[in-house]
Amino acid sequence: MGLIRADSVRVTDWGTRSVGSAWRAFDLQLVTYAGLLVTVGLVMAYTNSLENGRLTFQAGTTFSRGLMWAGIAIVVFLIATAFDYKWFKTFAWPLYGVQLGLLVLTLAIGDGVSGAARWVRIGELTFQFSELGKVLMIIVLANYLGSRQGRLNSLPSILGACFLVAPPLALVMMQPDLGTSLVFAAILAGMLWMSGASLKWLVALAAIGVALIPFAWNNILRDYQKARLESFLNPQVDVQGAGYQLYQAQIAVGSGGWVGKGLTNGTQGQGDYLPVQATDFVFAVLAEELGFIGAIVLFILIGALIWRLLVGGWRSKDPFGTMFAAGMASMILFQVIVNVGMVLGIAPVTGIPLPFVTHGGASLVSMAIGLGIMQSINIRQGKRPDW
Amino acid sequence: MVTEYLDRRVEPARRLSRFLVFALAAILALSSLTARLFYLQITNGVEYSALAEQNRTALQSVPAPRGLIFDRKGRPLVTNAAMYSVKVRAADIPEDRRDEVVDRLAALLNKDVTEINTAIDSNPGSRFDLVRVAENVNEATAGIIAESRPELPGVEVAVEAVRQYPEGPLVSQILGYTGPISPEQYEDMRDDGYLRDDWIGKAGVEATYETDLRGVYGIESVAQNASGRRGDVLQTVRDTQPGSSLTLTIDIREQKLAEKALKWAMKSVGMTRGAFIVMNPQTGEVLALVSLPTYDNNDFARGISNKDYAKLLKNKDKPLTNHAVQAHYPPGSTFKLVTGTGALAEKVITPSTLVRTAPYLTLGGTRFYDWNHRGFGACNIYCGFGHSSDTFFFQMAGKLGADRLAKYAHMYGFGKPTGIDLPNEVAGIVPSNKWKENALGAPMFGGEVYQAGIGQGYDVVTPIQLINAYAALANGGKLYQPQIVREIVGPDGEVVRSFKPKLIHKLKVPKSVLTTMRKAARSVVTVRHTYNLVDMPIRVAGKSGTAEFGVRDSKGRLPYSQWFVGFVPKDPKRGSFAKPNSELMALAFAYDSRTVGNVATEIVKYYFMLHYGIKKDYRNHGLLERGNFYQSN
Repeated sequence: MGLIRADSVRVTDWGTRSVGSAWRAFDLQLVTYAGLLVTVGLVMAYTNSLENGRLTFQAGTTFSRGLMWAGIAIVVFLIATAFDYKWFKTFAWPLYGVQLGLLVLTLAIGDGVSGAARWVRIGELTFQFSELGKVLMIIVLANYLGSRQGRLNSLPSILGACFLVAPPLALVMMQPDLGTSLVFAAILAGMLWMSGASLKWLVALAAIGVALIPFAWNNILRDYQKARLESFLNPQVDVQGAGYQLYQAQIAVGSGGWVGKGLTNGTQGQGDYLPVQATDFVFAVLAEELGFIGAIVLFILIGALIWRLLVGGWRSKDPFGTMFAAGMASMILFQVIVNVGMVLGIAPVTGIPLPFVTHGGASLVSMAIGLGIMQSINIRQGKRPDW
Repeated sequence: MVTEYLDRRVEPARRLSRFLVFALAAILALSSLTARLFYLQITNGVEYSALAEQNRTALQSVPAPRGLIFDRKGRPLVTNAAMYSVKVRAADIPEDRRDEVVDRLAALLNKDVTEINTAIDSNPGSRFDLVRVAENVNEATAGIIAESRPELPGVEVAVEAVRQYPEGPLVSQILGYTGPISPEQYEDMRDDGYLRDDWIGKAGVEATYETDLRGVYGIESVAQNASGRRGDVLQTVRDTQPGSSLTLTIDIREQKLAEKALKWAMKSVGMTRGAFIVMNPQTGEVLALVSLPTYDNNDFARGISNKDYAKLLKNKDKPLTNHAVQAHYPPGSTFKLVTGTGALAEKVITPSTLVRTAPYLTLGGTRFYDWNHRGFGACNIYCGFGHSSDTFFFQMAGKLGADRLAKYAHMYGFGKPTGIDLPNEVAGIVPSNKWKENALGAPMFGGEVYQAGIGQGYDVVTPIQLINAYAALANGGKLYQPQIVREIVGPDGEVVRSFKPKLIHKLKVPKSVLTTMRKAARSVVTVRHTYNLVDMPIRVAGKSGTAEFGVRDSKGRLPYSQWFVGFVPKDPKRGSFAKPNSELMALAFAYDSRTVGNVATEIVKYYFMLHYGIKKDYRNHGLLERGNFYQSN
């Protein structure tokens, strides 16, 4: 059928099945919610592309790039769905090498704002490899934890997972990108939790993490990161400086009201009061223009998506699938909390994208890969269990 | 097969409890975000909407057309023209292109790179402010700059109103000029609605009547984005109210005649500095006021270059100073009006008292010579004032003493600005015992009192003070505040302020004393102290003066300036000076005029010739030869 098969011996039963049964296992809801989220992202890209109230349909606007990346994402998603996810288990370790390689490459040749190295420029496009790194991390961890089922009560298993995450997390921290490195930590925590790892050790691990905060503050965090955290803790101190973005974002959100000012009518967003409004602060524009109702719709879509991921994970007979779903759900949930929380002034400012909605090719393509793998897992679990 | 697979697992891969907790955590997280969202958007939505509205709009001033200025006959002295200026918004120049942009701009404007950089960097406000870097840019250059937006980011061409003064240097000292507001002025004036790149009256009546001329700037609220870039006008908050216009007391014809007379003398004699004032003593209206050398206020209105400005500042004759009001000089014998008035009022003498004048008086071993080193024999006030006998007035001053002398000087308005509506008027000095105690720590010595009696020594006066003092004599004892603005007319043509003489005070001396002094002033002319002035077909009374100043030359001589102030009766041909009805008087001040005769008298004479259309030339060219002074005091 043109589908790539990983192991004809182990999946003979599957291989003999019709495309129809694969289609039935395909989670249409998951795709629908993701598609709607991408549409919301494109709508926001459109409103952020207006120049003096007019859209200029030319290469390079947020909207036209958004359309292009959405197209790429669909293709990537389809390929990932067709691709037998079991290959990832086979190639988990090389993929880990690829992940580290990409992050080292980013550090070596990457560009970023004021000395940071976050993006790699490929021709006209820039690509943030740490986004791809997150999905690769989930694959590697899912393989590791999935293969250690039954041994997770042991400390070595948990520490092993931690040691797997540590190098990429450190590399991202060196870019420096505090937000993304926290996403790595969240993925680790979520997957350990779902793997059924011993509560005792998880609590101990969390305690160590908290104990490390003062050390991190003094030795790892850059001054601007500290300033952001401080302005989060004392928002009134510096309304013109680091707190300005937060303040303007909250004005944008607050002035949205129930139904918002209408698409493209946001005064804060269209008046350039919002920092990086196409990316990290896109939720502020959404809340301003589409209001409380629009934001709730977004939350429901995200909640539903996470729900479908958990369902997929639950249904998966393969521990890898369960773990992979847990990783994706943890990543998306954490990013939403931190990104939206930042815009709403209840989380510090970090450069974490809002999944699907934030304009950014790497983020979207990585999500497409992740969801594609999830679908690949869904359609390769044999007959549906009864429940 | 499924059971087989499941059986292989020692432990279930999925724990429902962990899934449920995870799902619960997700629901909790999204719920708390929703709660916060509700708090911001619904609970506090109104406040945030107001903040967003505040953000979105900015108040912006709409400059009002500046009021015009006319002479007393309604001839326009200033018009508003359009001018291109170039402004820069620093925030819009990409940091790495700043040098390139400034270089290009400097080349286009033919300016120094540092000059432009200084203009941009010295703006104390925000980087979003528009800073003017060049005024009066020609249309071609303005066009090029306006069309090179991509090459010149952050550079804008603005059309601004510029003052044009059709009479130029003739009335520069009176009108003054407008210029860009200085940062210090802006700090003072911002509360009055001045803008950082505003223009403001800097000298002359442009400065003194700034508030009237400026009008009221309108205010409109405009849409604005975060970088302060403004868009559409949303609403007019306050309407623009054009400035009021001024009608001056100055008569351009008289101004031209006055300037002609003064220029003629300066050229003939080689003088470098002079002043000329024409006044109506009955009202205090100044009909002409000339101070030379001067400048062209059009240069300032268009934005004077640093080089030209430095040149004006360096000129030792101070063309930017209005020597008629902003500088004081020793009055010399013209001051004998004060001494004479004091002596008569204090009854030191009566009009008929004869005083022995002498070649010199001796005081404390020092000889005080009369100006002709001979004296004039026994003299009454007419003879003493008429011949300007120094020994006569030494004695009067000696008998009055420093303080009584100072009292009469103050009565005539000396030692205090007259209050003329021109900026930076100086006060002059009237020495008294108290003044000298304060200034130099000792009372006035006898010899100094002598000197004070003839307007030498510590006495210094401004030309406007001197003519105003004689105006009080000519009008019978009313000291008016000299005025240069006759009327203020609102933009709708309604007279905001009409002319009224402003009395400072009346001279507290009997009328008879002033009548005596007027006759004495007439005798100055009739005894031919002023040579052929008496031969003119008009009657003039007045007083000349010569005053030494500065440093002695190798022969022990001091440079000197000359004065003449004269007035004519209402009927110039037949009128008498017994009546205080003069309506025209003129004063000439000739600084450092090394002539045999009194050049100031010749200037006033020439002005009267021109004013009355007297064809015959009464000017005494022989007196204008360079030579030693003190042969015609």
